[in-house]
Amino acid sequence: MTDGHGQADDGIEPDGGEATTEDPSTEMAIQTDVSESVNDSDYTREAGTLVEARDVSVYYNDDRALNDITMDIPENRVTAMIGPSGCGKSTFLRCINRMNDMIDAARVEGDLLLRGKNVYDDDVDPVALRRRVGMVFQKPNPFPKSIYDNVAYGLEIQGADGDYDEIVEESLKRAALWDEVKDQLDESGLDLSGGQQQRLCIARAIAPDPEVILMDEPASALDPVATSKIEDLIDDLAEEYTVVIVTHNMQQAARISDKTAVFLTGGELVEFDDTDKIFENPDSERVEDYITGKFG
Amino acid sequence: MATDTRSGDIESFGTVSKTVGTVFRYVLLAATLFGIVVLGALLVYVANDAIQPLTADPGWHLTFLLTLVLPTLGVGAYLYRRDTDALRFGATTVGMTVVTLMFAGGVGMIFVDILSPFVFLAYAVALALPFALVLALQRRARRIPFFTRAGATTLAFYVSLLGVPGPVGAVAGLPTIVPGVPALIQSLPTVPLGWMSLTATLGLGVAALVGVYAARVRDRRAGLFAGVGALAAIGAAGAVGPAFGVTSVPAVVLASVAVVPTATYAAGTAVSRPERRIGLLVPAVVIGGALVGEVAVGALGFAGPQSWVDWQFLTSAHSRTAVDAGLYPAIGGSILLMVTVALLSFPLGVGAAVYLEEYAPDNRFTRIIDVNISNLAGVPSVVYGLLGLGVFVTYLGRSTGTVLIGGATLALLILPIVIISSREAIRSVPNEMRQASYGMGATKWQTVRRVVLPRAFPGILTGTILALGRAIGETAPLIMIGAPSVLFSLPTGFTSKVSAMPLQVFAWSSLFASEDFYTKAVPAGVVVLVSVLLAMNSIAIVLRNRYQSEQ
Amino acid sequence: MSTDDIVDDLTRDTQNSPEELLTRSFFFVCAVLSIVTTVSIVVLLVTEAAKFFSITAPLMGIEGPTASIVDFLTGTTWEIGNRRFGVLALVSATLMITIGSAIIALPLGVATAIYLSEYAAPRHRAFLKPALEVLAGIPTVVYGFFALIYITPVIQTVLPGTGTFNLLSASIVVGIMIIPMVASISEDAMSAVPDDLRQAGYGMGATKFDVSTGIVVPAALSGIFSSFILALSRAIGETMAVTIAAGSQAQFLNPIDPTAYQEGALPMTAAMVQLLLGDITGGGLAYRSLFAIGLTLFVITLVMNVISDLIAQRYREEY
Repeated sequence: MTDGHGQADDGIEPDGGEATTEDPSTEMAIQTDVSESVNDSDYTREAGTLVEARDVSVYYNDDRALNDITMDIPENRVTAMIGPSGCGKSTFLRCINRMNDMIDAARVEGDLLLRGKNVYDDDVDPVALRRRVGMVFQKPNPFPKSIYDNVAYGLEIQGADGDYDEIVEESLKRAALWDEVKDQLDESGLDLSGGQQQRLCIARAIAPDPEVILMDEPASALDPVATSKIEDLIDDLAEEYTVVIVTHNMQQAARISDKTAVFLTGGELVEFDDTDKIFENPDSERVEDYITGKFG
Repeated sequence: MATDTRSGDIESFGTVSKTVGTVFRYVLLAATLFGIVVLGALLVYVANDAIQPLTADPGWHLTFLLTLVLPTLGVGAYLYRRDTDALRFGATTVGMTVVTLMFAGGVGMIFVDILSPFVFLAYAVALALPFALVLALQRRARRIPFFTRAGATTLAFYVSLLGVPGPVGAVAGLPTIVPGVPALIQSLPTVPLGWMSLTATLGLGVAALVGVYAARVRDRRAGLFAGVGALAAIGAAGAVGPAFGVTSVPAVVLASVAVVPTATYAAGTAVSRPERRIGLLVPAVVIGGALVGEVAVGALGFAGPQSWVDWQFLTSAHSRTAVDAGLYPAIGGSILLMVTVALLSFPLGVGAAVYLEEYAPDNRFTRIIDVNISNLAGVPSVVYGLLGLGVFVTYLGRSTGTVLIGGATLALLILPIVIISSREAIRSVPNEMRQASYGMGATKWQTVRRVVLPRAFPGILTGTILALGRAIGETAPLIMIGAPSVLFSLPTGFTSKVSAMPLQVFAWSSLFASEDFYTKAVPAGVVVLVSVLLAMNSIAIVLRNRYQSEQ
Repeated sequence: MSTDDIVDDLTRDTQNSPEELLTRSFFFVCAVLSIVTTVSIVVLLVTEAAKFFSITAPLMGIEGPTASIVDFLTGTTWEIGNRRFGVLALVSATLMITIGSAIIALPLGVATAIYLSEYAAPRHRAFLKPALEVLAGIPTVVYGFFALIYITPVIQTVLPGTGTFNLLSASIVVGIMIIPMVASISEDAMSAVPDDLRQAGYGMGATKFDVSTGIVVPAALSGIFSSFILALSRAIGETMAVTIAAGSQAQFLNPIDPTAYQEGALPMTAAMVQLLLGDITGGGLAYRSLFAIGLTLFVITLVMNVISDLIAQRYREEY
């Protein structure tokens, strides 16, 4: 569907993630490449920007929750958003698939472009948008349906063609859950453990093959073992999808992301750059203070 | 000295406050129990008048004490100490037996006197064919435009039910080329027996449910076996029933509505929760004890009580003499009214609840609807009766007292209750579920249909059953719309005159007021009515408890 | 994927697809049905009642006998045969049923609510709440029969001279019937009292009794009042129990005279049932009087419901 780098590795085995993590050099090289082109003023979209935010502000009633955010989210990369709680990172995430529409009091200003189309144009259907931009929530929230029906949900509501059995299997494999649940597909998704539930939610999100996957602190409710499984998984997902993840855990952002955006109090995007740069040599002093734990 | 006094003060202060508190507590408890105790006493009185247990032979009491009461108490006490979950399971099985038997009585009445099983079969087939067709089409091609889908569905059902060109053609003067499936089936030269038709419809449906349940408890193979087994059992009941003195059609109903579901529940729980198996002792002792006792009193010649609630009472119509009076037409009327009320109030009530919870914008109009519904819930039932009388009878010119008008009036009456309880059920669906669905790109209707309603369904059902319980006990609106207090035959359709259980009880206790009716027919009617209501309430409460513990 | 494709894809407008429109309209119609019901009730009652009164009947094109609105509202004799429609005779009986049932239901209901909210262990609640619901679930016709056959004889032995039909027995059963309503709404109000207030009380060394009566009940007072009004409006609208137990002879009684409760009378709702059961021809004066009583009843209960709503809103705002 897209011309990303992951295309070559399509159908990657679940354990392929290790290879990627063991081979950071190539990853890093490509990534630097991308970020340079992004930072360049006359970048081209083909070079890999999927989502562009231009002066995005969000108000709850009259309170400004997000302050003129401008950033380019690269395609087929993991972009992390970190910051203290209440800094607006989740709010920004929910702007991308217009989940903020659900809150009556919320108002969004500015432009948010997906492949060049402003998703806040009047003619854009948020339902259609969300079919391209999947989402994984903080608390695992599988439906009280069978595991199979959970994963097939997106296909059914979109009336997708194709062999659902095959897609369900494929999605569960990609979410590294297939081996654990292949004999109990008819059982309720709620019977799984917390970590399994979250991977089920990831499988559900990728089944209809979206372009972007938004993750809102996907591991914050999980134990360390489950968390590391989710992190491995996110790494794999970047082969094919653009992943935007909100986390309050800086180590997690450092481990899994290619680019990191730091939001600080007041809904302000203070710095957005390659993850390595943010964690090793940030431009902003406030970011450095935050990273080193002086505040936040 | 001074210290002594002070500590004495404190002690006496403590005692006094404790006494007041304790007295207060018991006064509160007494107040709480007052209504329950009074009602309990009244129910005992009326049951005594209706069933007259003291007219039975002492030997009869002794026999049942030995065969039924003592063993049940013994097993109950044993399980209560050992495993209350098992006891609850056993008690639920017994309760389910009783409730399903009552339900089977009602369904049996429908198929014996109101709706012929063969006609039912014809319509069931006529509905099943297009349904299967549409389902198959949908599986094949998922992206059919809405109008094509809706048009094809309507057409399929129209052709199947009414034929080609059907009533539309008849209006245009075209002759019928192909009759609809019901007409086609009913014109067949050989007609299956009633019980066979019923096995193929009701029995098949129940067997399918049993199969699904068993598949969920165990696996697919078990599901298949259970389904086939259930169907065989239901068919066998119809074939063998007459040999045991039960006519075929009631036998099939009894098997498919009462025996098979209860047995499935018991077996399913025994398989999935082996530790609770011991609870099955309770139904075994109760049913076994009742059977043994029955045989024993027959053999020993002990006479039972002269109960006014007997087979004759349940199956005969009103009479001028209290001894011969029966409740049959009223029971049938209540059943038909309930069906009508449920069909009308359920979709409308749930629809309004869905609108208010999921769709309604937060504006003045929504608030008006909101306030209006809570006020409608407080409008007296006689006023609803006047509404039915004025609108349906006076203005629309319908004849008075029919099933349809009665049902519509009662449906309007309980609509606010259905709406309010459904809203609560919908509100209790966690917001994460909606978020997950919208986050996947589901539309509002898809979210409502696939996530919200399935999740809220048990709660909605509980509220609706309680509301139906309210409707089944209502008398005043029926009087207002001119339902006859005395009816000698069952209503046969939606436009025939209808009576109802509470109306019949009212007629007996006012129009036919006499000592004889006061001590025989009315108590018997009250006992039947209250039993039905308690059964409905207990279903609702069991459902609610199960549903709450799941959440 | 080109920009054009994505524009096409993102602007599909699924909100207004036929399926969405159809379902949304259906749900909307369901919700609006409640408004239609209310409007129908009001229009029907008002137009039919207008045909009843001399002052408005000519406007409705009604000829023949009518009744004066002043006589209707102030008259104390209700005799259909003599065309005397004094609704106060009926209202006095309704009022007495309401007072009588209030004396039983209000204290018992509040006590029940305090017990359930402050004292009862969860195990006991699990049994008591469904049992109380059954009180409200028993058909009113059954209550009427109980009052007539079981309660009246008891009253007659205690208070000789009580009629077979009397307001006392009817009041008792109506009172029992509305206990659950008082109890459940009051209990909701008491549960809504924040625990902080209770903690503060206990912290001051108050006993459970002090906290219940001194803190919880006063804090929940508006909710309790709202439950009173709602329950009494239910008692006013109660039909079958009073029809069976209270009698069929309309007479004006003094509601504050205790001995009056030993007599029978005809409350509004019972009068409506009686009118319907008698031979009334459609369109006759008696038939139209039915709607005049109905309107009176509707207005009284509506006003009470609205007041109760307003009070309840206040306590919801408090917390």
